[in-house]
Amino acid sequence: MFSLFSPSNIFYWIGKLISFINSIFFILLLVALSFALIFSPPDYLQGDSVRIMYVHVPSAWIGLASFTCIALLSIFNFIFKTKNLIIVTKSIAPLGLMFTCLAIITGSLWGQPTWGTWWVWDARLTSMVILALFYVGYIVSNKLILNEERANKISSIIAIIGLINIPIIKFSVDWWNTLHQPTSVKLTGTSTIHSSMLTPLLLMFFVMMLYCALIFLMKYKTEIIRMKKKNLKRL
Amino acid sequence: MILNFLNMNGYGLFVWAAFSITFISCAIVFYKTQKTLKKYEREFAKEINELSTERRKLVIENSKIASQVLSSQSKTI
Repeated sequence: MFSLFSPSNIFYWIGKLISFINSIFFILLLVALSFALIFSPPDYLQGDSVRIMYVHVPSAWIGLASFTCIALLSIFNFIFKTKNLIIVTKSIAPLGLMFTCLAIITGSLWGQPTWGTWWVWDARLTSMVILALFYVGYIVSNKLILNEERANKISSIIAIIGLINIPIIKFSVDWWNTLHQPTSVKLTGTSTIHSSMLTPLLLMFFVMMLYCALIFLMKYKTEIIRMKKKNLKRL
Repeated sequence: MILNFLNMNGYGLFVWAAFSITFISCAIVFYKTQKTLKKYEREFAKEINELSTERRKLVIENSKIASQVLSSQSKTI
């Protein structure tokens, strides 16, 4: 049973998963894009600019989820000191940063036709910029600090401090008076978004999650090979 | 009809810019990640091949990962 989770088995299954995701990804992407750009209706107030939501919202969700994941794994790493967790967090961070930046940029592109401005320093937008800065701090500390143990410790502290920002982002639209609209998709309670828009949104989210899984697996595989390469030199 | 679709009732510039930026960024990250993975696989296989026959045999016997990388590299060659 435990041999299933041995590094060589994990490495083998990562290879298989990468090929599987590669084989279905473009078909799913085409379906999701058709729903997002063609089949979903325009909004009665925002018109077709609402279609930006199909890239903006999944990007923001992934940015937030990735950082939460990094912070929680960093806490586990502090307690259990597992090297595997460090590889996982290092593989997630660049993806999280990219999607956070995409959420900010696409949000700005949505803000211009909807609010009449590219940017305002309101609570939701500012807290997202702070999240991006936490990501930068996490990645830079891992890259610049040469002592691996120290780098892991400092980056983990950054991630854990950054965790405070996650509920601030989530509830910023409720706590402060902001330009940003309140949450439409709720996990608990009824969502205030029509199913004709919710379907493409969830489809796009699923496709972006698949993309994240693909990049994460490739990065994880790279990290395993990098470690094996290091061990080979020690032989 | 196509022009109407591209124009998106006047919001085309914003909508297409948002989708383009997202997909171009994703494509760049995918390309760079894949390139790095291939580079590491190639270098790792090269380092194993440079070992003496005995040590190479030992590495391949003890590490399934090494043998998997070597076999994937021989397939690409």
